[in-house]
Amino acid sequence: MPADDPPRDPMPTDDLFARAVFAVEADLFAEARRQLSVCNACRYCAGYCPVWPELELRTDLTDGDLGYLANLCHDCQDCYTACMYTAPHEFALNPPQVFAGLRADTYRRYAWPRRLPAWLTGWRGTVAVLMAAAALLIAVSAAATGRLLSATGHHPGGPYEIVPYALLLVLAGAPAVWCVAVLAVGAVRYWRDIHGPVADLARPRTWAAALVQAARLRHMRGGEAGCDYPGDAPSPARRRFHQILVYGFGLCLASTVSAAVEQDLLGIGPPYAYRSVPVAAGTLGGAAMIVGGAGLLALKARSDPARGTEGMRAADYALTVALLTLAATGLLTLAVRDTAAFGPVLVAHLAAIMVAFAVAPYTKFAHWLYRLLAIYKHNLNPPGRAPAR
Amino acid sequence: MKRRFSRTTSRFHRRAPLQPGAAPDTAWDQPWDVAVLGGGNAALVSALTAADHGARVLLLERAPAVFRGGNSRHTRNVRCAHDAADGYVTGPYPGAELRRDLDGVGSGPSDEALADLTIAESRSVPEWMSEHGVRWQPALRGTLGLARTNRFFLGGGKALVNSYYRTAQRAGIAVRYEASVQGLEWSAADGGTCAAVLVDTPAGTRRVTAKTVIAASGGFEANIGWLSRYWGDAARNYHVRGPRYNDGTVLDLLLRAGAERAGEERGFHAVAVDARSPKFDGGIATRLDSIPFGIVVNAEGRRFYDEGEDIWPKRYAIWGGNIARQPGQIAYALWDSQVQGLFLPPMYGAYRDDTLAGLSRQLGLDPRAVTATVDGFNAAVDQGPGGDFTMAEQDGRRTEGIDPPKSNWAQRLDTPPFYGVPMRPGITFTYLGVAVTAGARVRTADGGTFGNVFAAGEIMSGNILSSGYLAGFGMTIGTVWGRIAGREAALYARG
Repeated sequence: MPADDPPRDPMPTDDLFARAVFAVEADLFAEARRQLSVCNACRYCAGYCPVWPELELRTDLTDGDLGYLANLCHDCQDCYTACMYTAPHEFALNPPQVFAGLRADTYRRYAWPRRLPAWLTGWRGTVAVLMAAAALLIAVSAAATGRLLSATGHHPGGPYEIVPYALLLVLAGAPAVWCVAVLAVGAVRYWRDIHGPVADLARPRTWAAALVQAARLRHMRGGEAGCDYPGDAPSPARRRFHQILVYGFGLCLASTVSAAVEQDLLGIGPPYAYRSVPVAAGTLGGAAMIVGGAGLLALKARSDPARGTEGMRAADYALTVALLTLAATGLLTLAVRDTAAFGPVLVAHLAAIMVAFAVAPYTKFAHWLYRLLAIYKHNLNPPGRAPAR
Repeated sequence: MKRRFSRTTSRFHRRAPLQPGAAPDTAWDQPWDVAVLGGGNAALVSALTAADHGARVLLLERAPAVFRGGNSRHTRNVRCAHDAADGYVTGPYPGAELRRDLDGVGSGPSDEALADLTIAESRSVPEWMSEHGVRWQPALRGTLGLARTNRFFLGGGKALVNSYYRTAQRAGIAVRYEASVQGLEWSAADGGTCAAVLVDTPAGTRRVTAKTVIAASGGFEANIGWLSRYWGDAARNYHVRGPRYNDGTVLDLLLRAGAERAGEERGFHAVAVDARSPKFDGGIATRLDSIPFGIVVNAEGRRFYDEGEDIWPKRYAIWGGNIARQPGQIAYALWDSQVQGLFLPPMYGAYRDDTLAGLSRQLGLDPRAVTATVDGFNAAVDQGPGGDFTMAEQDGRRTEGIDPPKSNWAQRLDTPPFYGVPMRPGITFTYLGVAVTAGARVRTADGGTFGNVFAAGEIMSGNILSSGYLAGFGMTIGTVWGRIAGREAALYARG
């Protein structure tokens, strides 16, 4: 290199910046402010997603602002591949990573009660709780029916032969109610921090816009081009697999709801025919969840860990595997409902659902709620386009 | 002996993939139709166009892949003539208006015919870019008042460069990184023909033969030694906004081989950048927008130029040169709490103090000199006509009875806390290049042309503009002339 390197300017450097550049363990929020101050002085990413126009409106970033921007981010990573300041450049920008860290903070910060007991967390805890839930189901059902995981034969494939309806309602309903309550509290706490008045949540038109954008994963498209994930080239793969997974999950919920309608309103009890709404929706939904989840796992395996955090990567794997487990046990329940395996498989599936509901607010599962609120906030007053001249 | 061995084993190489790096890189041995020297916008457009015309192309980028793209990494938009608004520009921009804008910068076009050719060719540039993988950003607010005239690349220049490299790969163009051209071999044929290109690579020097060569390697803005020839030790205090790889080696080789010069030899484009920013490759984020909101003093604490001359960002390019002419090539932007938050926040933050004296001490300035300067400035504001302070236009709030004046946005600097940021000249690009024909062929000082050497981009932009700056027009020149050079080189190479 013929260019000779003059010494760096001896000017003192802003404390925050110097500390954050050179200290890997720098405080998450300080590091986010350091990186985003560079982004705010650049603004080349404005066309990718709403995060950047929203950032332009904020020069002094509060913790609430950071929580808002991080959850508005859909992790398409286009900003990363477009950035001339990623490492080894000394600015070492990595917005996908810093936003992943901040989102993990959101999930921890706003859930209330703050966290699950330690014995409930981690793989061992999860398996132990699953076993306990299954044991509880078996024990209570056996006490109620006098039979151990076997049907009478009067209603082959009927679930209430194994677990009586009232019991099922209580045992699965309680964790479901808990799940909704914890998420609702988290939502309100988050909204107060990123925005303020809860009354501003009552705008139907804004909800309509936000829900459409969320349902279409509008902001995961990197300005129409697709997601630079798992590689460096735009690809629709992640968004599509995510959609398949989400709509599959939705079909499974629809299956449950339609079963409730058939039973409680129409008086048609299970087991339902293979061509009935509950079975068709559940089968299609379960299959979609498996396709979408497996696709996401395959992409994740090929993705660059440096564009996220270890914690978020683990959380992504855990959520995807959990959803795959739910889908697989659900499909298996249907497949074996006329065999002797029906009882054990049904109990395994129900236990999985109970545990999933119980821990969901403390896992990556909660991400949709915070992201939906961020999208809603964005739609309250979206930064506009240039007026035509 | 060695060559024969590799020839006999080459079939096995093709059949069974070996460990990466184990197979000899055949790119260095085969004769190419076109060798493109450089890896930024003009180089990529040249390579893609030559490949579109059926040529076999080798592109030599001296940067490693992660820093590929030269100055184009830091660009953002392209200025082309167009007849109507679309999703990406907000209104028509006739060729005649673009020509007027070109006439209005620096000393105007250096070659009117080539300037008009560039403008005419610019009309088809956006479509060509889209066809080759470039994506656009919808016209957003806050695009520096350029939403009508300039198209913004989605994600900026590095995203554009990434798209072009992907397209190049699909087009079968061979790309070699860390391939630094260090020599050109010449033969006397056809008015001077480049017979081979000598390339430094991590594996040693390679000799590349190509029927044609396209020089698209930019200027010498990162070559402090070269800049020192004109500016002495002052050049050591300049910051270079682009990559450190732009040292003008190819330009120097062409000039030594007898190429005709184009563009102002000593000229460079520079803006005010944060003095705390990196010496190289700071790009867009280190520029400072605060100047018209306050005053600027030099190391002696004195004002030296009209901070309110014209609306931002039109005058933003003049401050690099202004600061370069001050003692120590440093200056300090000062403002107060009345205007804090009205402009893009400096990425390193600002020094802040409740008194001017305290701020001066933080900045290493003489508090008495700064206070005297501000007192004099405030008195001159009081004598001015006053009026509403607005950044929407030249507001006519000017000083009276002070030299230099502040012609607009003159407002007393008296409301603590006070803020300040040190600034250096940040060089964007240099103007000196090689002269070309309308076919992008490099001209020689004796009135002829080289037989097989073409040029595109910054290395020949002096043919269009010998000085001055028009936002986005560098990318126009690079694209227009990359297309011409790529086409002409391919036609020449394929007979």
